[in-house]
Amino acid sequence: MSTAPDQAALKRGNVLWLMAAMGFVIAPHAERLPLWVSATCLGVAVWRGLIAWHGRKMPHGLFVAGLAIATAAGTWLSYSRLYGRDASSTLLILMLCLKLLEMRSRRDALLTIFLGFFLVFTNFLYSQTVLMGAYMLVCVWIFMATLVGFNRVGTEATFRERALPAGRIILQAIPLMLVVFILFPRVSTPLWRLPQEGTTGRTGLSESVSPGDLNKLIQSEHVAFRADFKGPIPKNDRLYWRGPVMMDFDGRTWTMSPFPGILTMRTAGIEAKGDEIDYVVTLEPHGKTWMFALDMPLILPSDGFLQSDYQIRSGAPINALRRYEMRSALSYVARRELSPEARRRYTTLPLDSNPRATRFARQLRTNNATDRALINAALLLFNQQFIYTLEPPVLGRSPVDEFLFDTKRGFCEHYASAFVYLMRAAGIPARVVLGYQGGEINTVGNYLIVRQADAHAWAEVWLEGEGWVRTDPTAAVSPDRIERGMDLALGPVGVLPNLIAADKFGLLRQVRYTWDAFNNQWNQWVVGYNTDRQAYFLKGLGIDSTDWRKLAMWLLFGGLAASGLVGAFLLLKRNPAVKDPALLAYEKFVRQMAAVGVRREAHEGPVDFLHRIEREHSDLAAGARRVTDLYIAVRYATHGAIAKSDPRIDQLRAAVANIRNA
Amino acid sequence: MQLHLRERIADWIYRAKAPETPPVVLVQRRIYIVPTRHGYLFAFILVLLLLASINYQISLGYLLVFLLASIGGTGMLHTWRNLAQLSLAPGRVEPVFAGDTAQFTLRLGDTTLPRFSVAVRRSQGEAEYADVPQAGTATVALPVAAEKRGWLSLGRLEIFTHYPFGLFHAWSYVDFGTRCLVYPRPDPGAGPLPVEASQHGDGTSMIPGEDEFHALRGWRPTDSPRHIAWKALAREQGLLSKEFMSTASSDLWLAWEHFPSLGTEERLSKLTFWVLEADRLGLAWGLKLPGVNIPLNGGDAHRLACLEALALFQIGPAAA
Repeated sequence: MSTAPDQAALKRGNVLWLMAAMGFVIAPHAERLPLWVSATCLGVAVWRGLIAWHGRKMPHGLFVAGLAIATAAGTWLSYSRLYGRDASSTLLILMLCLKLLEMRSRRDALLTIFLGFFLVFTNFLYSQTVLMGAYMLVCVWIFMATLVGFNRVGTEATFRERALPAGRIILQAIPLMLVVFILFPRVSTPLWRLPQEGTTGRTGLSESVSPGDLNKLIQSEHVAFRADFKGPIPKNDRLYWRGPVMMDFDGRTWTMSPFPGILTMRTAGIEAKGDEIDYVVTLEPHGKTWMFALDMPLILPSDGFLQSDYQIRSGAPINALRRYEMRSALSYVARRELSPEARRRYTTLPLDSNPRATRFARQLRTNNATDRALINAALLLFNQQFIYTLEPPVLGRSPVDEFLFDTKRGFCEHYASAFVYLMRAAGIPARVVLGYQGGEINTVGNYLIVRQADAHAWAEVWLEGEGWVRTDPTAAVSPDRIERGMDLALGPVGVLPNLIAADKFGLLRQVRYTWDAFNNQWNQWVVGYNTDRQAYFLKGLGIDSTDWRKLAMWLLFGGLAASGLVGAFLLLKRNPAVKDPALLAYEKFVRQMAAVGVRREAHEGPVDFLHRIEREHSDLAAGARRVTDLYIAVRYATHGAIAKSDPRIDQLRAAVANIRNA
Repeated sequence: MQLHLRERIADWIYRAKAPETPPVVLVQRRIYIVPTRHGYLFAFILVLLLLASINYQISLGYLLVFLLASIGGTGMLHTWRNLAQLSLAPGRVEPVFAGDTAQFTLRLGDTTLPRFSVAVRRSQGEAEYADVPQAGTATVALPVAAEKRGWLSLGRLEIFTHYPFGLFHAWSYVDFGTRCLVYPRPDPGAGPLPVEASQHGDGTSMIPGEDEFHALRGWRPTDSPRHIAWKALAREQGLLSKEFMSTASSDLWLAWEHFPSLGTEERLSKLTFWVLEADRLGLAWGLKLPGVNIPLNGGDAHRLACLEALALFQIGPAAA
């Protein structure tokens, strides 16, 4: 086809816009990218700039192909694969950057922009926060503005001529987007198997715990999940959010059971002994499979299953925000029989790892007649001699021994670990449970925010006739931690709590809660808008979302209504400011003439009309001639649009006004 | 292939349609719109993004896909509106000689909105782009090579646009029946004017030269600017042919029979050269073609009449 549109691809302004769009969309990736990738992208941008501004030659196609192969190889070396989230994002970024060096036609430019939308998408694989959404909307805007520039042929678009049409069209597109977003059927199962991606950069609990692990988490203000209670929010000391359960111990590190059995809620043997609490958990992606619930869960999320250690697991790693309804009993009996095999495993300890602790446990066993008495004696020991601290001393080869008999200072995992060690050594089946304890009540939205800083470890012991019983040795050491939360037990942690502590009037807290409440709504309604949420929302609108034919019909109607609305707005919109001022003045003159009996015919041009006025109304001839001459001069002898400031317009207006006096 | 199909559809739509009277306003029903290749590519990319969003359960991915799809749909309305209500009128076109380029023009305007990158092309021709300012007009030049004498018809024009996103091709057709008169290509091989042959008894036929001022006549593009009579121009007196006629008294007949051995087109080309030559020298001449007899005369109107007769010889004037 014509070559004129292709010249648009090489215009500096267009190239600059495209590079800016790419820069904006790649920026959030920058912290994750290997250094050489960022350097390559920057280098390519500078090179392309030199081509555009200093008229350097485009590199040879073979050279760019070589570069592409080299960077693909580099990606493979960095990630040891080319698929998966991290590697494929990196590869896409590199290929699109290199495409800049190979952009010769409008087609190349358009393809680059379209693929740029994939880069927008890759950002959502890492974050779906409000801020990311808003930022990506800006990126789409820049991309669309760039697209406008590439579709201007002949003339180059100004900044406003790019940004305004693109922005306007995006605004007009939003109603239809919302309708489709609400009504488009959601599928709850993935279409193809997802590659298991690493969880780099995500804070949270892990499959194992050793002394010192949790106090790293305590520094983190990251939200682990939010919980919205149907009824009043229970007191802090009852909020034990159960997470991964640790079974095996190697003397230092506790790890999860690799092959736990699966239970159903019926076989679990959990019996509520008080009120049942209903709440909704909105779980932030953490890359692991466990799902949190208050001790003990009574129901399971739709895609969750229950392990024999009462841990709820998801079928796939939680890589996107997950919203699920839960019901728990805060007072319960978990009366499940322990098989001999299980009993053996829950009392197993590595031989000779912590000999002093083992001897002490045997001593406790002989001194106490019952298991209950033994447990109380151990807790009493913690209560009397131990200190709860965020900065415990570093422990060596026998951490339990050193903690119990030398340092006596520790954090929750030290207490849970040492306590479970003592119990097992004394022959009582026991295990370490990880999770979160408590949470922060958002007074604006009246829900609970549970942060990584609320991470906790406690113990569970199995008692004859009672089943699994939760025992929290930390509560024996520092009751404040459990009753009133982290900040009050240890004082403020990190920068933000310090600021909040200094905030006497609670203003900052209010702002923070409002922002979090907004995020929560975003999570509930946008990020967490899944099959269940859609069914619930559409039910409120009286639409049955399970009938796909009805849903398709609504989608069609809604889409047509939204686009019809915008279409009508576009078509009916008359631009009021566009009437030519000369024409307006002349029309006034025509009305004046009609008032004195000379009506202008549709076919009459201004000159013919003037001749008729001269014949029929000679007293107005002089004035009419002046008006007509000025009108013709302004309107027909001017190139392009008439400037509003043209002095002849004023002359014309004056001539029309003074027609009788001329 | 696509172009070919579009041409055929256009032929079918325009089958029985007479040339239109300007100005033509591109009303709703005359504008057609289909996705471009880039539009289909865009749709394909959106399908891929939708699959990725479904698979990774990325809610903001859904939002992105639906936003882009809505932008595409809204962009279609804008592409359509970039043509809608645009007013078209052809400009004047001056006659040319065969072998030259006829400069057709199309004026776009009377618009309440600014329009960008509106293209005009003849069937299979090169597209010419123009921006139309708000409340203003733009003129698109459509140069067409005039290959042979007679009427050169501009034919049907396609007015199209891809603005703002290049995802849709909106177009319309218009045919004003605009045509350009093409004179035969002047052939210098005609030789000198047959002055001697037509000389009268008095013996003193004026052989034109550049020595002395003789009379005023109309300006022609071939004249040197040094010969323009600026004062007469200022007085808006272009033609002074009477005085000129009286001086060139020799009977110069440019006749078909001068070139007995040549074909029709060659004869016409040579006669065209003679007409121009006679006019350049300020002579009076007459033209004789089979069935055409233009009496002795001189000046612009006479020259144009002769050229037109040569251009339309055996073609017929055809209702303009």
